[in-house]
Amino acid sequence: MSLKPRTVDFNATWTLLQETIHGVITLAHVPRPVWNDRFSDVYSLCVAHPEPMADRLYAETKLYLTNHVAKLLNEVLEGGDAHLVKNYFKYWTDYSIGARYLHSLYLYLNQQHIKTQKLSDAEIIYGGSDTAGEQMEIGELALEIWRSGMISPLGYKLVKLLLEAIDEDRLYHTTTLPIDAVKGTILSFVEVQTYKKKGQLQLYQELFEEPFLNSSGEHFKRDAARLLESKDVSLYMEKVIAKIDEELFRARKFLHPSSLPKITQRCETHMVAEHLLFLYSECKNMVQGERKQDLSNMYNLLKSVPNAMSVLVETVLDHIKSQGLVAVNNLQGESVHIHFVENLLEVYKKYRQLIQEVYKGDQNFMGALDKACSSVINYRPSDGRSPSRSPELLAKYCDTLLKKSTKGISESEVDEKLSQSIIIFKYIDDKDIFQKFYSRMLAKRLIHQQTQSMDAEEAMINRLKQACGYEFTNKLHRMFTDMSLSGDLNNRFSTFLKNDSIDLGITFNIHVLQAGAWPFGQSNVTSFALPQQLERSVQMFESFYHKRFNGRKLTWLHHLCQAELRLGYLKKPYLITMQTFQMAILLMFETTNSLTCGEIRDTLQLNNEQIQRYANSLVECKFLLADTEELSSNTSLRLNTEYSNKRTRFRITAAVQKETPQEVEHTMNSVEEDRKLYLQAAIVRIMKSRKVLKHNALIQEVCAQSKVSFAPSIPMIKKCIEALIDKQYIERTPHSSEEYSYVA
Amino acid sequence: MKVTIKNWVGVATWRWVANDDNCGICRMPFDGCCPDCKLPGDDCPLVWGQCSHCFHMHCIVKWLQSQQVNQQCPMCRQEWKFNNK
Repeated sequence: MSLKPRTVDFNATWTLLQETIHGVITLAHVPRPVWNDRFSDVYSLCVAHPEPMADRLYAETKLYLTNHVAKLLNEVLEGGDAHLVKNYFKYWTDYSIGARYLHSLYLYLNQQHIKTQKLSDAEIIYGGSDTAGEQMEIGELALEIWRSGMISPLGYKLVKLLLEAIDEDRLYHTTTLPIDAVKGTILSFVEVQTYKKKGQLQLYQELFEEPFLNSSGEHFKRDAARLLESKDVSLYMEKVIAKIDEELFRARKFLHPSSLPKITQRCETHMVAEHLLFLYSECKNMVQGERKQDLSNMYNLLKSVPNAMSVLVETVLDHIKSQGLVAVNNLQGESVHIHFVENLLEVYKKYRQLIQEVYKGDQNFMGALDKACSSVINYRPSDGRSPSRSPELLAKYCDTLLKKSTKGISESEVDEKLSQSIIIFKYIDDKDIFQKFYSRMLAKRLIHQQTQSMDAEEAMINRLKQACGYEFTNKLHRMFTDMSLSGDLNNRFSTFLKNDSIDLGITFNIHVLQAGAWPFGQSNVTSFALPQQLERSVQMFESFYHKRFNGRKLTWLHHLCQAELRLGYLKKPYLITMQTFQMAILLMFETTNSLTCGEIRDTLQLNNEQIQRYANSLVECKFLLADTEELSSNTSLRLNTEYSNKRTRFRITAAVQKETPQEVEHTMNSVEEDRKLYLQAAIVRIMKSRKVLKHNALIQEVCAQSKVSFAPSIPMIKKCIEALIDKQYIERTPHSSEEYSYVA
Repeated sequence: MKVTIKNWVGVATWRWVANDDNCGICRMPFDGCCPDCKLPGDDCPLVWGQCSHCFHMHCIVKWLQSQQVNQQCPMCRQEWKFNNK
């Protein structure tokens, strides 16, 4: 056959074509040669001479399909309501497949005739122009005819039956209608429009989904009411979660995937959001009982309801806080600091794990944990004025870990514990107080050579640096530098002694510290007459030092010096390490066995308080015997010549090294002073860059700057502003008392 | 001898002793450091001239470098010589 256009008799060809179309659309047998002939007939009609007959072919085909669908509709209706869905589904299956074949048969018409007049994708999507009068490809035409001829008249009835079927499934978990018929029918609403470029789901949504959601909503409301009768929150939550799962399963069974989130949302609205108060009523008990299953159920339910979580979060926060306070309140005894830190960590870890487990690490709950911890750690007793003791206790805890005495704890364990303590440290507001205590304790560890390991010390300082920055730890670093410099210095001094062949008679070691870097105020330096045994060594060193470092002045801190003594007056020789003042007292008994406190005081030029403290420590260790309980200037002290101890080498420094309450108070006061200076410096810095600033803005910026190391009180900032006005760094602007300007 | 000292560990702090409180160039206290340094101590030392005036080392070096003609002490206008006694 030829592809050349020729004259065609339309009626004859159409009769043949119509027969084949019938065969195709009803899925009857169509032999291959017939198919091929009809395929070329479509072609010859489209290119017919003298006039192409494509439009007529299109019109006839449309008419034929319309009639065919009308016939099918009749047949479906005749089958009665009971079989409506089943019959519809049967005819739809056949018809939709047939339509696809028909589409191929009309391939030429589709490709050459219709596609050329179609609007482009862009025009359809953005133009919104009317597509009504336009010719459609045959496959689409067939679907469109099905929609108008079958779904339009039948739709509402079908939907009613479908909803009944789904309700039946809800009640009995089975349907009288076959599942695939129900699902196929529902999906036919989507498939019939799949050819569309936009609004593919429109028919499905309008015809089926909306009524479905509404009827499901009613169902959920009834169900919720029924479940609420039991008054048991945890049971209710379990039921609701099961219900949601079930509905999702059902939706997967019957519906288009786009409906899944909608049905879940409906369910949550009617069963959770509308009954929030009921859920909240049990919230507190659940949190306090830490019922994990219930909490996780509640979390899952509330998660998707907007703003519903906050009550749960609040409750969790309160609970953690109260647990934390219980853990650290009323601690007593020697090891308060250890219990304090370890109890807190236990609480922290417990709830952190709970949140990970139950709430999958939800940010809201992590935030609640942070808030709770920081309010526990910075908790001040209700009398208000006294500051939180946490910084001091934490510093002490670190000190205990880093000191030599820690028994039976491996290095890795110490390391572990120290890095845990950083968790607590991060929550502390008054980091500067911690720093003060920490540096005092570090200084003592270094000077009295009590550090367990330098590595551990350094690791800890690096952790602090990471948490708080270089500024925070630079003094601590300088202390380490001084220690290693002192090591060098000792070596050089002993070489110097060797070269000049000088024998001091004792082993002499010294730490030379830089005044500003170490936390020892000048206030502790008191007058003291150095025992003559030491005089030569000290003089030698001073002259050595001054030769080497011009322009530096040494101040001896005798209260920190230590000596090792050999006691030769007892049955056994003892080697005892003690502080210089203790040593000096003991040395005075060289020529006599009995002295009064007053005599000792006058010779050594110590003050009363020191004599009491140090002599008392010797009495407590039984090296001296006192004739009165309380030491006064007239008390006479005798050397205990009967002294004996199993150990022959030990130290008696511990008793005097303890932090006295005065020292603690002193530390607190110095923190206060430092804060004032810090705040004033901050204010000047800010004012210098801003020139003019409102009072509130200034306060805000100061708070922001000092946040790293402490939380300043507003009255203190105000006082500092006043002080700076007095010092004429800043002044009030003339037109407003609420505004300050920088005085250059 | 009843009691003999075996060994002794001394502790002392040091600070600068200068004939003035403040550096004549930067006006900062000698206990502190020059404006270019962050921390006082060995890293920001003091130096003395033969005229007995004393400055932060960083300050006087900067001053000497800025003088084109002759190197003078900024306090007394004598020729500046480091005192290396």
